[in-house]
Amino acid sequence: MADQQPLQAQDKLAFLLALVPYLIDRERVSVAEAARHFGVPESRIRRAVELIAVSGVPGETMQYQHGDLFDIAWDDFDQNDMIVLTNLVAIDDSPRLSAREASALIAGLQYLSALPEAADRDAIRALMAKLSRGAGGAAANVAVGQDLHDVALDTIRRAMTEGCGLAFEYAGPRTQGGTRHVDALRVESVDTDWYLRAWDLDRQALRTFRLDRMSNVRVDDRPAEKSIDDVVIPDTLFQQAAEDVIVTVELESSSLPLVADFLADTADAPDDDGRVRIRLAASNGFDGVVRLVAGLPGRAVVLDPPAARAAVRAFAAAALATD
Amino acid sequence: MPATRAPRVPAEERLFSLVLALLSTESGLTKSEILANVQGYRQRYTSGGDNASLERQFERDKDDVRELGIPLETIETPGAAGNNQTLRYRIPKGEYDLPLDVRFTPDESALLSLAAMAWREGALSAESRRALLKVRSAGSEDDDGAGTLGVDTYVPRLRARDAAFEPLRAALDRAAAVRFDYITPGEHEARRRSVAPLALVQHGGRWMLAAHEFATGSEKNYLLSRIVGPVTQVEVGRHPAPAGAGERALAELERIWATRTARIRVASGSDAERRLARRRDTESDGDGVLVLHHVDPQILAEELAAYGPEVRVLEPGDLRDRVTERLRALVADHTDDADDPDHSDGPDHSDDPDHSDEEARSRG
Repeated sequence: MADQQPLQAQDKLAFLLALVPYLIDRERVSVAEAARHFGVPESRIRRAVELIAVSGVPGETMQYQHGDLFDIAWDDFDQNDMIVLTNLVAIDDSPRLSAREASALIAGLQYLSALPEAADRDAIRALMAKLSRGAGGAAANVAVGQDLHDVALDTIRRAMTEGCGLAFEYAGPRTQGGTRHVDALRVESVDTDWYLRAWDLDRQALRTFRLDRMSNVRVDDRPAEKSIDDVVIPDTLFQQAAEDVIVTVELESSSLPLVADFLADTADAPDDDGRVRIRLAASNGFDGVVRLVAGLPGRAVVLDPPAARAAVRAFAAAALATD
Repeated sequence: MPATRAPRVPAEERLFSLVLALLSTESGLTKSEILANVQGYRQRYTSGGDNASLERQFERDKDDVRELGIPLETIETPGAAGNNQTLRYRIPKGEYDLPLDVRFTPDESALLSLAAMAWREGALSAESRRALLKVRSAGSEDDDGAGTLGVDTYVPRLRARDAAFEPLRAALDRAAAVRFDYITPGEHEARRRSVAPLALVQHGGRWMLAAHEFATGSEKNYLLSRIVGPVTQVEVGRHPAPAGAGERALAELERIWATRTARIRVASGSDAERRLARRRDTESDGDGVLVLHHVDPQILAEELAAYGPEVRVLEPGDLRDRVTERLRALVADHTDDADDPDHSDGPDHSDDPDHSDEEARSRG
């Protein structure tokens, strides 16, 4: 509890320090536009402006006299929801970035360089250098390696911008390949794994496709029926269904980051040996769980149900038999 | 709002007032001047009394302000070095302001919004959000261009969930050396390592620490997932990472990636064939044989084990042994006593594990 309150105040401080120079620059701006610019609710802008308007410096008298405070055009604010700063104190420019802040954005940019939109390497480099200058030349100590720019991405993006459908061949690990006709809604990625979330026309449902299982991707010669505004896309990539079978797995706690996106609930606390029990939701058989467990570092053991244990055993035994 | 005798000033108002007060002083303010006069402190200040809790509040506030990248500095009064009471605090305006050449176009701002969005968890997420506030503060042109990048149609996610990530980042920030226990695959006991961190790098989706190891005098990469237990900082301030260390570490990993290859056979029409062929830099030898690049043979072995019977390692033998060992362990860990006499659901290989082991070695 004690730790949380100051953190909130710190974020609010950062917001105030960012808002003042923006308001100075804009001279007269509506609450709505400022809210849009910073991506925050209008109420947050109003509260911040009210606080700025009564804040200032102690001044010569140490009494916070009228001229030592910011002021705004109150009538314009109250009646028209417009913000005009009429007296300024102490700050007139944006604060520089902290080394950690610049470093976080630079690493994020490095990650984005796999995107077609970020293909201009020189522009990205210049932007990174600008961020670094914005933090007083601090060295970035977090770096993200180049990922493959999947060729499918270009086609997907083209279908989306042109408002066209998308067609491709798709096969899961256990399913026969076939042509899928979809309306592309959103591209998502988790580290090096890329996904397309799309409206599947044949199944009339939202589906998630791995980009590296898609082939012969092409823009379909038909207008898309659904857009991002028509379909509610859950935040998590994988949803649990009522008919899913819960599989209990014991693994090294250091492997938790590798399974975090698939957990059916919160992992148990690790035992003294750093072993941890998790539960995964298996849909359409155990194949997905089996492959996940087979690829984990250290010891990963399915405890329950017995059929899932047998599936891991059969999978590994079959693999050994190919030698 | 109920009227009370001593209205409590919100924390953000106190912090904001502190920053404004320290920005507007050239010569600095002493601690008692701050506590007695600055909004949010003055309401709680007892003249000539005990202000211990208020002083502690000021210490925490200073840390919060500095964490935002604000250069809150102290000046010692000449002739009174080390005297806490005469120490003066200020924020030099020139170092507070974002340099004039650091302004952002709407396109850059949109790209940075996406970059910030990649971090959704932990400290990096909070820092990205704050950085974005500053970027938007300094990029106040019209945002009409922001839509072209399609911020709502792309959701990037970078994970940094390894337990050692934040402790190592803190050590890098403080230019500290670190000690931690590190387990190498195949070894049963973790071994204590003593290193000077250079950078945290993500390569192939895995976080690694590039560091200078004191014992060997060489630069090495440590997988964060193999660090066990706590990371201890030592010699704080004495091991600053050189500029560009992250880029150099990535370049070195790329060099290793380019030279380490494995030849594998993939089953025709399998998931392994589809996905591994799309893996970065994979070459096809034709006839279902793929050449894969990697940095760490154990991680590749785990990746390949996840494809089970769809892949077979041709070379190197070491990689094949690692995959085989992993698969054997899986069979053993998933065999109950009751299964032993009759495992009719698996392929019939009841007496060949030893045999194939010999074969594997002789072929390697």
